[in-house]
Amino acid sequence: MSEIIKIQNLQKVYDTGAIQVHALKNINLTIEQGEYVAIMGQSGSGKSTLMNILGCLDRPTEGQYFLDGIEVGKLSENKLSLVRNKKIGFVFQSFHLIPRTSAMKNVELPMIYGKMHARKRRERAKELLCKVGLEKRLDHLPQELSGGQRQRVAIARALANDPPIILADEPTGNLDTASSVEIMELFTQLNQEGVTVIVVTHEDDIAEFTKRVIRFQDGQILKDTKRGEQ
Amino acid sequence: MLLWENMKLALTAIRVNKMRSFLTMLGMIIGISSVIAIVSIGDTMRSMFANEYANIGLNRAICYVMKYDGYYYYGENFTADQVEQIIDAFSDEIEYVSAGEGGKVTGINGRKNYEIVTTGVRGGYDKVQKVDIISGRMIDDRDYEGKKNNIVLEEATAQELFGTADVTGRTLKIKYTPSGSSGDVIDDFNIVGVYRNSQSVLMRVLGGTDNSRGLAYLPESILTDIETNGMFSIDMFVSEDAPATFQQQFINYVARVTNAEPENVRYSSAEEEMMMIDSMMSSLSMAVGAIAAISLIVGGIGIMNIMLVSVTERTREIGIRKALGARTGDVLTQFLIESAVISLVGGIIGASLGAGVVIIGGTALGVDVVVKPSVMLMAFAFSALVGIFFGLYPARKAAKSDPIKALRYE
Repeated sequence: MSEIIKIQNLQKVYDTGAIQVHALKNINLTIEQGEYVAIMGQSGSGKSTLMNILGCLDRPTEGQYFLDGIEVGKLSENKLSLVRNKKIGFVFQSFHLIPRTSAMKNVELPMIYGKMHARKRRERAKELLCKVGLEKRLDHLPQELSGGQRQRVAIARALANDPPIILADEPTGNLDTASSVEIMELFTQLNQEGVTVIVVTHEDDIAEFTKRVIRFQDGQILKDTKRGEQ
Repeated sequence: MLLWENMKLALTAIRVNKMRSFLTMLGMIIGISSVIAIVSIGDTMRSMFANEYANIGLNRAICYVMKYDGYYYYGENFTADQVEQIIDAFSDEIEYVSAGEGGKVTGINGRKNYEIVTTGVRGGYDKVQKVDIISGRMIDDRDYEGKKNNIVLEEATAQELFGTADVTGRTLKIKYTPSGSSGDVIDDFNIVGVYRNSQSVLMRVLGGTDNSRGLAYLPESILTDIETNGMFSIDMFVSEDAPATFQQQFINYVARVTNAEPENVRYSSAEEEMMMIDSMMSSLSMAVGAIAAISLIVGGIGIMNIMLVSVTERTREIGIRKALGARTGDVLTQFLIESAVISLVGGIIGASLGAGVVIIGGTALGVDVVVKPSVMLMAFAFSALVGIFFGLYPARKAAKSDPIKALRYE
């Protein structure tokens, strides 16, 4: 298996002028293609910072981050946008769908920025919404959908450009237990299809679904356990 | 492709916030509609003046001589011989000459008195000037040479005096001052013809009295005796084929014949006058239009304001778009197009409104309105430009926002 994510000696310092916050301290981490990982930790542990860096929304202060062999820290703004578009599918806690825009249009969005042809785009959006079980909700607006349904639209959107990695930041944080289980089962299914899934969570029963748990504390990796090794 | 997607996106945003979009556009609507209305009214007036001069005859010119010794004052009249000499010298260029005599007389039919403005003419006047004879004939050379008491009335004058336009062949008493006489006399005149004068559109719109209204034609020889009095001015129609140098040649020749300095020879042509009025009107409408265009700046600031609000409101949306792969340029284009579309739609509504008001007003007054498509297109282009210009700052603000902060924004 190939290394999809490789982080070496990564540091992240937030310089607010008055104080310097050392959010990540000397992180070394490798994630292989097809893994199913949970990143856990309390708030302030640095897991969100790592998430932002993994998602190419932020850059490391020091150290190197290779995503699919590309060193991301050296890329320009626009190149980073392209990497996000092609390599990463985001799933957020509060869904982050574009309001007043249909499920179809939301799923099409990454493909629009990926410059995919309109007809192909619509076909793919429909296919993905069917895959997440929303074939009857194609033209619904986000506010007309339940939380679980919204998150499924977001997952369909994350899959739009067929990225190798899904980054989910507290994907079940705003959902009831039943919906949470449904969403996690969907991630499990996607992982079985070969997608690398990284879930940030603070709930143990969510982490239960994954195969590897990385615990964070004070900006450092506390524990990295693979299921079956326990 | 992205351009078209952005256009659709912008139209959706406008549709979703109908009231806000309308209020934002209002500035552009008012600005563009007033500019279009003013420019179109100006263009309409210019075309009306051009028509007016076409009626008078663009090739009409008047020449007279001034004297100068510290002050200007009118020089001596042309003698009949001088006039003849001048006309002979320019027989190819001059189509018609008269002394331009005329004046008010009183027409009397029984107990009815009616003031008539007359113009003294010679034969051939109707060849250089359109006279719409509806019965009888126009004054001709025999009337002029024979100093015949013949007159051609306007239809409305005939109506006023006789209660009918069918007066050709009848007699009308006229009180006037004949040439060489110091007092008024009353003479019988034969009505040899009646013509129709449609009042000019310009006069109807301006509500003024038209000098040509009620104008009657009679032989010029009745009003003045050129052999003894000469002519104060040469009132002539110049051939359209006359060379461009005609005016200067003519002035020089007149100066030579009358022993005057060329700069004291006054020559005014209807064409020159019209061009002067035209350029005055066009710069006036430009100036007023420019003042109205200031309101476009106000409209633009309104757009900038609302776009700033919109960018702030949609911070999260911008963050999502960036996370999903939107580049800085994509976000910039999206907001620029949105403000351009708002402004353009406002411009289109405004231009239609302005043109509509002018067309409706013109139709009500019976005027042929001139609304130039080029002016409309310029208004559209300009309103889109205003949108882009004033949208630039908010769009840059949106494009530069940090996706992490934008995603967390509540």
